[in-house]
Amino acid sequence: MEMNQPSRFDAIVVGAGPAGATAALKLAEKGYKVLLLERGRGAGSKQVFGGRVYAELLRRVFGDLKDAPIHRWVKREALMLADGDRLVAVAYWTANSTSFTTYLGQLTSWIVERAVNAGAVFVDEVRVDRLLVRDGRVVGIEAGPDRVEADVVIDAEGVNRLLLERLGLVAKPKPAHVALGVKEVIRLSEKAVTERFGLEDGEGLAWVIVGSVTDYLPGGAFVYTNKDSVSVGLVLHLDAAVRGLRAHVHELVERLRLHPLLRRYWGDGDVVEYSAHLTIESPEFIPKSLVHDGLIVVGDAAGLLLSTGLTVRGVDYAVFSGFLAAEAVDCARKEGGFTRDVLSACYEQPLRRSAVYRDIVRRKRASKLMKDERLFRDAVRFAVKAASTIYELGEETPKLAEALEEAERAARLSKLSLALMLIRLVRGL
Amino acid sequence: MSRREAGPRRLRLEELLQRNVYDVDHRPHIVVDTSKCSRCDAKPCVRLCPAGCYTVVDGRLVFSYEGCLECGTCRVVCPLGAVKWDYPLSGRGVYYRFS
Amino acid sequence: MVRVVVGIKWVPNTQAVRFDPKTGTLIREGVPSIVNPHDLDAVELALKLRDRYGGEVIAISMAPPSAIKGLEHVLGMGVDRAILISDRVFAGADTLATSYVLANAIRRLGSFDLIIFGQETIDSSTAHIPAQVASWLDLPYVYYVEDVEELGGGRAVVRRRLEDRIEWYEIELPAVIATAMHSQQPRPVRLSYKLRAKTERRVEVWDNKVLGLDERCVGLRGSPTVVTKVTWMPEVPRKRQVFRGDPREAVKWLIEKLREEGVLPY
Repeated sequence: MEMNQPSRFDAIVVGAGPAGATAALKLAEKGYKVLLLERGRGAGSKQVFGGRVYAELLRRVFGDLKDAPIHRWVKREALMLADGDRLVAVAYWTANSTSFTTYLGQLTSWIVERAVNAGAVFVDEVRVDRLLVRDGRVVGIEAGPDRVEADVVIDAEGVNRLLLERLGLVAKPKPAHVALGVKEVIRLSEKAVTERFGLEDGEGLAWVIVGSVTDYLPGGAFVYTNKDSVSVGLVLHLDAAVRGLRAHVHELVERLRLHPLLRRYWGDGDVVEYSAHLTIESPEFIPKSLVHDGLIVVGDAAGLLLSTGLTVRGVDYAVFSGFLAAEAVDCARKEGGFTRDVLSACYEQPLRRSAVYRDIVRRKRASKLMKDERLFRDAVRFAVKAASTIYELGEETPKLAEALEEAERAARLSKLSLALMLIRLVRGL
Repeated sequence: MSRREAGPRRLRLEELLQRNVYDVDHRPHIVVDTSKCSRCDAKPCVRLCPAGCYTVVDGRLVFSYEGCLECGTCRVVCPLGAVKWDYPLSGRGVYYRFS
Repeated sequence: MVRVVVGIKWVPNTQAVRFDPKTGTLIREGVPSIVNPHDLDAVELALKLRDRYGGEVIAISMAPPSAIKGLEHVLGMGVDRAILISDRVFAGADTLATSYVLANAIRRLGSFDLIIFGQETIDSSTAHIPAQVASWLDLPYVYYVEDVEELGGGRAVVRRRLEDRIEWYEIELPAVIATAMHSQQPRPVRLSYKLRAKTERRVEVWDNKVLGLDERCVGLRGSPTVVTKVTWMPEVPRKRQVFRGDPREAVKWLIEKLREEGVLPY
């Protein structure tokens, strides 16, 4: 009855998110015997993201995305600075979209289905408790009383790195390294989404809103249009939130949903889901080493997420790292084994040389800036005050310079600090 | 049925959680050593746990795991390491459909 | 050695079904299905008996092919064999037609000691199936069972808990029992068992070619039940009274309130 070692695999992938599922798919396509493990029920049932995926890297990995579960192609972006019931919006419209909205669970299911069709063994409802280590190398996994062994384990466990922490390979994240994302999905008709946001069929939008929507805390709110729903939520940097958050976090999300200037878009819609997830806010989250003997780390667990303040991308990076991990297994087999050195040459170095990795690390400065609480309070107040002085006219029509001066006074900002902030902002981004 | 007010109204946290699908295990997947919490004045978990799993009743911290969204925030913000955090077994816990 | 058959229903997670007050309809979109939670009590009891006496636990379910996931869940808990009865001609069955198919499928399994069901299902709550299966197979039936205390020599002693008493029954085997809800703590899914379910010991699928039942007795045609009207309970306004203070005082207060409302007769 007891089967402590039911079978052996070439590779075990822990976590069927975008990174793990991609790694399993690509390994199965190469003919490897691969086991894909997922703690959730079916694929995608534990997944949360903001709302959009950049397509370029996905095309490179999956080919054309014709049968992918794409909701809308994002063709309208906006950055909004909100101060109470006034806001300044900077909009970008294009006919050329590079990203789409979807439900992450749907996208992941799509990848997992392909992986299973390619021959991967997908086992859900199983929580992996530990990486199995023998003589200093990872040789498999433990789940409850069971162990399964493999030549190599691909750790795609996500942002909560319990397995890596238990092995002592990473420390528990500090509040400064992560942010809390909380989101509501609001059901509307497909037609209502299209018409209310001024879109055409299949077109979507992405908004980032900063300022009073987060109580001026570092982070921001986001809005994404799905096929027949809207994702509305916010991201709070945990270090600042620990210090500065006064209300319960759900109240901020509800306030956003009922914002007097925004609720016209979705206020009559039905909230069908309320979700939360941690998101990576610092390159310091990246483990010192992305490989060990018998182990490759991918996706969120590898810290591969880039939040610039204006855009967030993680899913395409996850897919890319899963793809590289599968390539690395092939490479390591040819190079004589799954030692740390070989895996470093086959996975870590190509990853660190990639634009993906360089971009994440380059944003160190920006990520510091994105924690500057003055940016989220004073700069927003300044911009909104200036705009209201310019646009809300009585008898007098102030000159631009006068409007700016009044805004400086209102935001208690000097010209110098404003200029410095602007310079840092431009350099950072 | 009476309509209390016109237009959308703010949803209570319990109402938001009711929109989700759960298959709650009889075994809690998170265990909190609440004896440590009396030494913690800030209690960041209370405001930051998006599911409101941490509440203060009569000055004492009370933890309930049933509405957990499995995000991991409590684990990161708890200054005293009082949270023994893990995921539910057997695919139980929250079941996201539209996220 | 025991041979136990467990009946499983694949049901929508009714907790996820919401009522749309605007249209007066149920919102079923995106509602995932699960193994009827009360059936997991039955699975757990069956597995305990197998662990105690050795033998085999066979799970059986009549459902569309998507129920394979549910049967894989119970295989993951350690069930030895799982059979999905699935055929278009079985669709639209009421409890009579369902129990007829289940009883005939169980007959095909050969000899067995016990058939265990959950107390009721969360999507219809009739509790008909175990009683009807017992009828078709002409077997004794006990429900609200908490535990099987003794088993062997063609008999078993089962314990059941009612609101005001505990009862023990000595029954001849084979027999049908239904577990009391929440009487067991279902064990978690194990990797090795789930892996086995996904590779070497897959769910068996039986259609009516296997069972060969008269199509007039199964599915919609074999179902005499007619649903004439569906209605819903009006919302009851809550009084939202809260008592704060000493628990002993609270009990007195609560009893007083319940008397006032006529809930307590004395």
